[in-house]
Amino acid sequence: MLKHWWKILALLMVLYTIIAGFLLPVPRLVILNETIRSLYFHVPIWFAMLFLMGVSVFNSIMYLGNSKIKSDIVAVQSANVGMIFSILGILTGMLWARYTWGTWWTTDTKLNGVAITFLIYTAYFILRNSIEDDQKKARISAIYNVFAFVMMIVFVMILPRMNSSLHPGNGGNPAFGKFDLDNTMRLVFYPACLAWILMGVWITQLRVRTDVLTKKLLYDENV
Amino acid sequence: MYKYILSTILLLSSFAGFAQDNTVEMADGFYKEGKIYVVITILAIVLIGVAIYLFTIERKLKKLEDSIKDKK
Amino acid sequence: MFSLNFTHFIVLLKKEFDIEFRQKTALNGILLFVLSTVFVSYLAFQKIIQPNVWNALFWIILLFGSIITTSKSFLSEQKGRMLYNYWLYNPRQVIMSKIVYNSFLLTIVSFLTLFLFTIFIGNIVEDLSTFSLILVLSSFGFSSILTLMSGISVKAGGSFTLTAILSFPLTFPLLLVVIKVSKFAIDGLAFSVSVQYLLVLILINVIVTTLSYLLFPYLWSD
Repeated sequence: MLKHWWKILALLMVLYTIIAGFLLPVPRLVILNETIRSLYFHVPIWFAMLFLMGVSVFNSIMYLGNSKIKSDIVAVQSANVGMIFSILGILTGMLWARYTWGTWWTTDTKLNGVAITFLIYTAYFILRNSIEDDQKKARISAIYNVFAFVMMIVFVMILPRMNSSLHPGNGGNPAFGKFDLDNTMRLVFYPACLAWILMGVWITQLRVRTDVLTKKLLYDENV
Repeated sequence: MYKYILSTILLLSSFAGFAQDNTVEMADGFYKEGKIYVVITILAIVLIGVAIYLFTIERKLKKLEDSIKDKK
Repeated sequence: MFSLNFTHFIVLLKKEFDIEFRQKTALNGILLFVLSTVFVSYLAFQKIIQPNVWNALFWIILLFGSIITTSKSFLSEQKGRMLYNYWLYNPRQVIMSKIVYNSFLLTIVSFLTLFLFTIFIGNIVEDLSTFSLILVLSSFGFSSILTLMSGISVKAGGSFTLTAILSFPLTFPLLLVVIKVSKFAIDGLAFSVSVQYLLVLILINVIVTTLSYLLFPYLWSD
């Protein structure tokens, strides 16, 4: 049971986010009103996705170095969970936008960035599906993963700083300046980020173990 | 003359009342009626459900992994 | 050691040009493609005077043209004709020669597209010198990205579809910056406005070229 301490911690932190996120006071801002509480859920999902994609590219690079299938399995499963989180992020963001900006989607650089990220990683999975041999699949998709990750970083980190945008914290400023997040919100926000990163890692770990078992049982591979 | 000065001072001092900022609409009524606890309970139930699901998967995986280890 | 590498690089570069000169495969195909698309656009639009539409059409045609051009770069490797390359040359030399060659090819294609646009659809670019600079820079960037992607797709036994699926999302950052700056050039805004975007363009070029340079050897070792 002690092995699973961090999973219990993740659950407790998400629970804390839910309770404190709704009970603690928030700044009273126009347009946003109570929806500012979405910050506790929408943004941590994105950070978790970035973290998972980072794990994925790290493992891709490891695979290029050591050619162990396990690295490739972690790379693809963390990209998988990252994609799921990005879909959740897009959906929650669209809903939030509908009630604050008045539209489901808009031409905002960050939104373009996440749409492109979605396309990039979809292409990653399509690439993997088109190759049969495991080692070749792992190697080629690892190469693509590195390229894809760097382009994603360029897109979601660098370009938004250049253009103005509806997102709070953009239009010249890095995100989360003191105008966007007061201290009470930080109390919930930082634990929420950590909580969802841990949840993402937990789900990835489950998927990796499933994949390893599948390969061992069905294909009799040494993973 | 003094009437004007007095009325200007009173007008300016009335701005102090804006510090409370009750003008932005928040869900205060919702909170006062205690409905917020319903929202929290719902989300907590969802979370507990997800947690139970994840731990079930954990247990199944552990069983499979152990059986593989025993076979070896 | 450096001089030896450089000679190899020049040899490989010369080889690419020689192949092209003898067979003229890439250039002919792309000429036909660009001519057809521009002509169809001409039939549909007649003359275009709105900068937005002109800009968008130009870059869409150029993007597709670039993908077609670079997709031919690894065809010879696929058929195994150039197998001795694996043993003789450093893969880094191979990719750099292909990237440089493709940039050159894409620059020609870009100016060709511009020329055809001028004939049929009209040239509304106010600041031609900046626009030309953009064409050169973007050709290099597209070449770096698309050459590596065409290599990946060939190794994955892929079709043109796969190359397109892989390449499109990755070119978007480059494309967005390029569209924005070229809009400035079309409108004839001062160079100082475009400078920061041109610098970003150069930065992206450096990033993608470095990536292709570092990653290609792993693709090659088969």
